[in-house]
Amino acid sequence: MNFSKQNPVVRDSGVSDAEDTLRLIANLPAPEGLEKRIEASLRVAPHTTTHKARILSWPVALPLEKAWVRAAAAAAIVFLVLGGGWGVVALVQSSQPARAIAAPPDTPHGVAPGGFSNAGAMRTPQTLDHPVVAQPEPTPAQTAAPAIKPEAKPEAKPGKKPLQHTKSAATGKPVKQPVASTKKQPDTTRP
Amino acid sequence: MSAGEAVSSGWMEIADKTMRDGACQHAEEEALSALVSQYSGTLYRVAYSVLRNAADAEDAVQETFMRVLRHRDSLGEVRDQRVWLIRIVWNIVLDRKRRSKTRPETDDVAELARVLPVKGLSAEQRAAAAEHHAHVLACVEQLPAKERQVMMLSAFEELNSVEIASVVGITESSVRSRLFRARNLMAGLLNHARSLR
Repeated sequence: MNFSKQNPVVRDSGVSDAEDTLRLIANLPAPEGLEKRIEASLRVAPHTTTHKARILSWPVALPLEKAWVRAAAAAAIVFLVLGGGWGVVALVQSSQPARAIAAPPDTPHGVAPGGFSNAGAMRTPQTLDHPVVAQPEPTPAQTAAPAIKPEAKPEAKPGKKPLQHTKSAATGKPVKQPVASTKKQPDTTRP
Repeated sequence: MSAGEAVSSGWMEIADKTMRDGACQHAEEEALSALVSQYSGTLYRVAYSVLRNAADAEDAVQETFMRVLRHRDSLGEVRDQRVWLIRIVWNIVLDRKRRSKTRPETDDVAELARVLPVKGLSAEQRAAAAEHHAHVLACVEQLPAKERQVMMLSAFEELNSVEIASVVGITESSVRSRLFRARNLMAGLLNHARSLR
């Protein structure tokens, strides 16, 4: 492919010489024995072809008649997986900590087997701390006020009288009767 | 069908399939061997024109045929095997040149004088020619990559503009315009170098 003669700009500027140089390099002969070396390397190279991606590639293609081999292999795999899972579960369950609190064994004179002494300390059971009720401090106003009698009941309203539950003699039904006031009435006759 | 017959027929099937596979593999090896003997020289020259190192060029050719071996199943679908192979080796050498930091052997003038054929020249003339070639190649290296690639491929007599376009992956008109630009740039570079002397 030679376009340099068609281009007047580059005709006399040495570009054709440059293209000659490139052509010289492009026409260099290949070294001797190149084909043999390449063929030898191809022979040594592993004959790998582009296979489709597989999850499991079986070493030999099993025919359909030997499908039971695959079934047996699959069953063995399932058995191994389940067995392993069961083993893990059993291991986890046996290694769970005991729920009861183990008390230290009684030793003479309170000396532990390690040589340490608890110095006669009493063991107290671990219980929940009950909520501490804070006692209200008496304020100065409360201390100045008179003490209220706890027995004193508020007086009944003047218009109402307290009712007493009694049974009627005639009917035997409970009847509400007004109770006579036990409070001492003021003597109005006196001046 | 008795069990014996079934076994024997299965065995025959396996043997038949093995023979077919063997014949197929043998045919593939034959086709690959024919490709090697036919195009290894061309591929080597293409590789050498870019790498300008004999060992690297040979490695590139080997890698090209290794790729062909890997995709030998689709070898029958290739329309033009020559251009297809040149395209493979072209991509390989461009990738290698991008990665390698070593200078090409032909940057050395003495090495260039050894490699390039100079018939009927004295030692002085040979040295002068080698210096000139080295200078030209240095100017080619200064060209932009797109223009440089088209110019180097155009130096191969066996590649026309359509095939160059197929190798580079552009249209034929782009090849022509790039080649035009490359020549103008090259002329400018050579004139500039001449004025400096």
